[in-house]
Amino acid sequence: MLEITNLHARVEEKEILKGLNLSIKPGEVHAIMGPNGAGKSTLSNVIAGREGYEVTDGSILFEGQDLLALDPEVRACAGIFLGFQYPVEIPGVSNMTLLKAAVNARRKHNGESEIAPNDFLTWVREQAKKVKIDPKMLSRGVNEGFSGGEKKRNEILQMLVLQPTVMILDETDSGLDIDALKIVSDGINALRGPARSTVLVTHYQRLLDYVQPDFVHVLARGRIVRSGGPELAKELEEKGYGWLEAA
Amino acid sequence: MSALATYSAQFERYANALTAAERAPRSVQFSRFLDSGFPHKDLEDWRYSDLTALNERSFEPDVSASDDALPDLLLDGADTLVYVNGQVHPASTAARWHSDTCALPPPAVGIDALNAAFAAGGLRLRLDRGTRLERPLQVLFCSRSDGQPTMSHQRHLIELGDDAEAIVLLDFSGTGGERLSTHFFDIHLGRNAKLQLYRIQNEAAGGTLVTRIDARLSRDARLEGVTVDLGGGFVRHDLDLALAESGAETTIAGLYAHARQSHIDNHVRIVHAAPHGTSRMNYRGLVDEKTKAVFNGKVVVQPGAQKTDSEQRIANVLLSRKAEVNAKPDLEIYADDVKCAHGATVGQLDAVALSYLRSRGIDHDTARAMLLRAFALQILDRIEWPALRARVETALHLPAELTLDIDA
Repeated sequence: MLEITNLHARVEEKEILKGLNLSIKPGEVHAIMGPNGAGKSTLSNVIAGREGYEVTDGSILFEGQDLLALDPEVRACAGIFLGFQYPVEIPGVSNMTLLKAAVNARRKHNGESEIAPNDFLTWVREQAKKVKIDPKMLSRGVNEGFSGGEKKRNEILQMLVLQPTVMILDETDSGLDIDALKIVSDGINALRGPARSTVLVTHYQRLLDYVQPDFVHVLARGRIVRSGGPELAKELEEKGYGWLEAA
Repeated sequence: MSALATYSAQFERYANALTAAERAPRSVQFSRFLDSGFPHKDLEDWRYSDLTALNERSFEPDVSASDDALPDLLLDGADTLVYVNGQVHPASTAARWHSDTCALPPPAVGIDALNAAFAAGGLRLRLDRGTRLERPLQVLFCSRSDGQPTMSHQRHLIELGDDAEAIVLLDFSGTGGERLSTHFFDIHLGRNAKLQLYRIQNEAAGGTLVTRIDARLSRDARLEGVTVDLGGGFVRHDLDLALAESGAETTIAGLYAHARQSHIDNHVRIVHAAPHGTSRMNYRGLVDEKTKAVFNGKVVVQPGAQKTDSEQRIANVLLSRKAEVNAKPDLEIYADDVKCAHGATVGQLDAVALSYLRSRGIDHDTARAMLLRAFALQILDRIEWPALRARVETALHLPAELTLDIDA
């Protein structure tokens, strides 16, 4: 599904990723853990194609095609979704408008006609219920005046509406109380399936109690320094990252 | 030929057709114009807007009425008064609000004097006490120019008696090449009268349009204004509001957007001359390509105008390296028990928001259009006339599917 080979990337003049390799197959859930500044967010942003990140070497193949050659919107239409660590507020663009534009952009990409307004409304309402977002909030500007938890739930809502093939969640668990964490995890689990892959970028073991990963990787100094099963996350929780960084 | 010579020749021809009594005051105005010429940048009020290039130009006055088909600009549900190059057009359904004559101001200078020297009549809307205009009134000013550049100058009057109410659209639209038009509006609002005043400007790139609105608000009168500039060559609009009596209230919103290489200068002045007045000024600019925008907002609180509540907000987004904005909020306060706020910003399109929208699959141009509309929305929302709002949104080339606000 996603094949990352020898990825080097920098932000401004600083090299952050220094030869990262990662192979993700359909249906798998991979957790990327690691200390602050290790390059976790950079990895997410490079996959999504966010501006300001320069890939200096290596490649990312998505379903066999060169992902790095695609504009961010084309990546999204092809099925890549990044749940942001800090979702932006956009007053004046309502959540509904964003969702509709996004859904129709994707349909256009797939050569389909625009979604019928009623089908769209029904679909969005259904998904909003899953993440406990009041439909009234959807008429407001994107994330406008939303609490930290609401913003994260709104990211999950967008993901549920768009039904991506690869879900990348960048510290979606940070700043969430236990109820919100449960809602967010339920949203992610609802989308888990044999044709969909998930990358959970997280600092803590906590999220992984709710969304069971198949693989856990430790990212440090711009590389994957250790990979293992779910037990690795527990080990990290006990020992911290120091022992790996020293290694 | 010396500067302004062509104007002298035109005025001579024009004045010869007048009676001696008509001619005298206009000759005074014209000689005042000759003394001052067109406004130049040494004048404080014209610092960023220089019209001296017109000194050497030559414009013929428009004389013939046109009954050409009108562009598709008439709005459903409105009464219409249509002028084409200053002449009343037969499509007008509200010709009763037209007057051939107009009152001249005291001897003036500059453009004001030029307008007064040549001034024809125009809109004269007078509503008696307690009356309400049944339908909105669209006053359409079409500028058309093909061939020899022409000019027209008009003076207008809106007078609402006590408790009277009206919705009026001043709609300036142009096609073709070079042209000069000037319009002066006098507005008087009686006690508790209410005027919703829209001004939409979409002149051609060769059009020079100078408009000035002077409004006086009596006790508890209310003026709600929305002004939108979408094009034009050189456009100067002055809005001068006097809250002359206690409890008067005005809310003015403005948008300048979409223009490609225009010079758009808005000067707004609100004078609080009496206590308990409220004023709100909110202007937004999307300044693109080679457009130069000037905004000057001034609030004056005169001695004794206690309990004044005033706010002015100006925000601009520069969309190209060659675009330019000169925005200046200004406040003069001579009373001590007042609440006045002001602020002006110039920024760029939010790159983070743009990148967020793209990350959801929305292409760059659509994402940009969504953000431009979001910025303009505060002003668009003030257009309470659905057909007019739709026209403005269309003129802004905003994708229709994104302008529908959907409720979940």
